[in-house]
Amino acid sequence: MRKEDLNRVAAALRDPMRSFVRESRVRTALLVNRSGQVLAHHGFGRGFDVTNVAALAAASHASAHALAELTGAGQWMHLHHAGKEHQLFLAPFRTRGEQLVLVAIFDKESTLGLVQLFFDRLTEAVAEIPELGSDLPDSDVAGFESDLEAGIERLLSEDDTR
Amino acid sequence: MTDAVRAALQRLTRVKGVRGAMVVDAEAGVPVASELETGVQETALAALAGSLFRRTQDASTASGFGRVRSLQLESAGGHLFVAGAGALLVVALADPAAQLGLVRMEAGRAAGELNA
Repeated sequence: MRKEDLNRVAAALRDPMRSFVRESRVRTALLVNRSGQVLAHHGFGRGFDVTNVAALAAASHASAHALAELTGAGQWMHLHHAGKEHQLFLAPFRTRGEQLVLVAIFDKESTLGLVQLFFDRLTEAVAEIPELGSDLPDSDVAGFESDLEAGIERLLSEDDTR
Repeated sequence: MTDAVRAALQRLTRVKGVRGAMVVDAEAGVPVASELETGVQETALAALAGSLFRRTQDASTASGFGRVRSLQLESAGGHLFVAGAGALLVVALADPAAQLGLVRMEAGRAAGELNA
């Protein structure tokens, strides 16, 4: 996504993401695209590097997608990793414009069922957002790096004000 | 569905006024098995009933009452029972006029057996 579209999209995603985090009781949630660009972040980000999480989530999505195709499983629904203290939920979903991946990290305050339930509601809310329409142009090769950095810069500036 | 889970659900849904029942993974809040009427949102019910039970458990612990065995939610359209004794919760939906004592007893018995 181009730098000039990012702020508009991020502003439109703010309310749905805030609702998702509040209702599902996850500690933090990120919305990233397939390039690893962070479009939205809400919740507690301290304790881990959000940009690394976004990049790894995009990579994990790509690997899982390839694995699903290889095994004939088709589209994967979500990936859930239950750790000792924290749990990770990764789920791709399609908007009118592009495919996004939700990354949610939660602890004993939430459950997989709650996260899944409110993820479904988040996808419905995001589907209604006109800013994520099909006319959003992708980054070109020359602008890719600066557009990716724009997501990180916006994230860091939000962290400063949070 | 294992025989024990199937038997527990069948016994519970045979009680007069019970509309449906399900077994939920307490930690994940996801359905394990269910016998529900069409139109009941199974995954949403599992997630929310699990969360409700967990919150009630927290409140009970904070109050010094200890472990929650079951909870009952009364609303205009019917009753929701959740019983738990470990990794599995038993959820029952009942009509307003159901034999509530029997529903509670069967739900508690099912939870005890499944978590034994």
